[in-house]
Amino acid sequence: MARSEFHKLASSNLPKVITLKDGKNMDLSASGIPRKGIYGRNDVPDEWWNQLDSNSGEAPFIRGAYPDMYRSKLWRIFQLSGYGSPEDMNKRLKFLLNAGETGIIIKHDRMTDDHLYDVDNPEVSERREDVGLTGTVTVGLRDYQTIMDGIPIEKVYAKPGGGVPQSAPYTQACYWSVATSRGHKLSEISGTGQSDFFLTYLGCPCKEQIPPASALRFNLDIIEFCNEHMPKWVPVSVAGYNGADSGLNAVQELAFLFANAVEYLDGIKNRGKLEPKDFAHQIGGVNFRVAMDFFEEIAKLRVARKMWSDILRNRYGITDVKASRMRIHVVTAGSAMTYQEPMNNIVRGTIMAMAAALGGTQSLGVSGYDEALSIPSDHAHLMSIRIQQILQEETGLASVADPLGGSFYIESMCSELEKRAWEKFDEIQNQGGFLATVENGWLRTQASDEQRQHSRRIQDGNMKIVGVNAHLIDDPILQVDGFEGQSGDVTWQQAVDRLEDLRRTRDTKAAMRSLRELERVCLTNENIVPPVMAAVQADVSIGEIGHVFRSSFGVWDVSENEFGV
Amino acid sequence: MSSEPIQNRSKVLVVKTSLDGHWRGVSLVARALRDSGFEVILGGMLRPSQIARVASDEDVDLIGLNIGGRIEVVHRILDGLAEIGLSEVPVFCGGTVAPKGAEILRARGVEVYPPGTMLSVITEAALRLTK
Repeated sequence: MARSEFHKLASSNLPKVITLKDGKNMDLSASGIPRKGIYGRNDVPDEWWNQLDSNSGEAPFIRGAYPDMYRSKLWRIFQLSGYGSPEDMNKRLKFLLNAGETGIIIKHDRMTDDHLYDVDNPEVSERREDVGLTGTVTVGLRDYQTIMDGIPIEKVYAKPGGGVPQSAPYTQACYWSVATSRGHKLSEISGTGQSDFFLTYLGCPCKEQIPPASALRFNLDIIEFCNEHMPKWVPVSVAGYNGADSGLNAVQELAFLFANAVEYLDGIKNRGKLEPKDFAHQIGGVNFRVAMDFFEEIAKLRVARKMWSDILRNRYGITDVKASRMRIHVVTAGSAMTYQEPMNNIVRGTIMAMAAALGGTQSLGVSGYDEALSIPSDHAHLMSIRIQQILQEETGLASVADPLGGSFYIESMCSELEKRAWEKFDEIQNQGGFLATVENGWLRTQASDEQRQHSRRIQDGNMKIVGVNAHLIDDPILQVDGFEGQSGDVTWQQAVDRLEDLRRTRDTKAAMRSLRELERVCLTNENIVPPVMAAVQADVSIGEIGHVFRSSFGVWDVSENEFGV
Repeated sequence: MSSEPIQNRSKVLVVKTSLDGHWRGVSLVARALRDSGFEVILGGMLRPSQIARVASDEDVDLIGLNIGGRIEVVHRILDGLAEIGLSEVPVFCGGTVAPKGAEILRARGVEVYPPGTMLSVITEAALRLTK
């Protein structure tokens, strides 16, 4: 390998560090908004205060998405899950549903599904112990039948894989094909996709993935497909979580999330088949990260609903309640979960979950307390569910909508957050919009500068983390070991066997025919979803689909983009 | 941490051992090393079998591995280094390594810096290992 192929870290360009008074971290919020010791009515601008007259369920939705909030529907307990073989995945899903989870998330491993590699690809076989590590491995549709075995697909709300745009058509096609093979209509199936740009081009890039413009095409295709066939499916979900846990602060998370949503709205509109009023509701299901800055995070969720409603009204002339009502899924910050003394993370998870509920989330996943060590153990998973059930059943938190509405501090914070987020949003639009800031690297620079500043505050002790840089004890008694899962030689070998079986027992001619059809559609403007569905149903393997995508669209050069330099 | 680069001509290869794409930790560590005067070579997601060759081609003084959960691959990387006579090149690692795995790696002479380690501890280790 030639030397020049390697990217060398450029010389130092340190971002400016905010120096805090007296070394205290309480002067500024996590996004840098100055905080006073006490707030009064004069700290809330009238134009913000006046909007609080609108109730929960009414535009601009500051006070909540639905009129009766949790009285009419509790937030959905929606935990990320998955490891090992399809059988392991199936077992874990049943365990979680039995424990009271009210939606299922099927997470795949990064080795195969995110990358769309077959398990016998050298990229995978050289690190086979990671197969089935961060989620379950699949070789094709047959594995999805195993994952969903005995689970009533027509009754569950699901998110089947598809975190990154290149894998979303495949994982969703598999899930939907399980449903149709059981005789259900696509229109009956409910759940959500993700196809998130922040995950793909900022937080967790794959080694080989399709370029951003092709990813946008995939997402728009999925939106159009669902618009026609799947009214109960959220086709894509902009995931602020992935931006925020990669560094973006609350202001940036709001701004980039809405810039991304606008990219979808404009993209579909410009295709000319659908009017924004007919599909805007499909884009209004998003996800946010909630981290440890309690009040700022509550404020962020309230502001988000208003910004969405304002965007639809001011930019697209939409005032319809169904479209203007943003639905929020929250994931508590994985990065807030410490390696040191992991049991402390149960407390952190509870605090972040409370903030999400106080901000009016529609669904919630609480990171496992062992997040920094491994994927969740059974026990960590159960704790994440129990935290939510205790909040729902024992605290009265679900009785009243927007219990913090009218707090001088919260309303002041909301008003300031909104102002700053719109300024940042305009900065993005002035560069040509969201996709432009992905491609020109500005998104990455924004995140990495913020990430460094956050790290600096921990290093110099301005931001305290118990057990990490504060209140250390010599002999920690709360350490646990990580969950070992089922990844490794056996899981990999079983997957190789299943792949060989798939290749041997399928109708090869039909499989190749569907693959050629997929190849043809990739190079046209036709919708990508139907040929992917046909391919998985013809037992085409995941790697064969990945190969078609890579050869049709090319590969985004991660080496030039990694590390945000 | 000083923003003035320290005089230091050592070279470090920073590379992920898995296809897991979480870059946040790697990025912070790579920059901290750069700011301590190291020349940082970013290996991205090189295959395990390629790491030793790149370490040799680039003539690095230190290898930093970002581990994505399992440690078996580290043994293969160390074996690969030994095969081409590079067993003297120090290796240290961070990322997602459970305590049990960290113990095993330390027993093989690999220093392990789990999440939450202060960056100054990591850069001091890098300077010590390349003395």
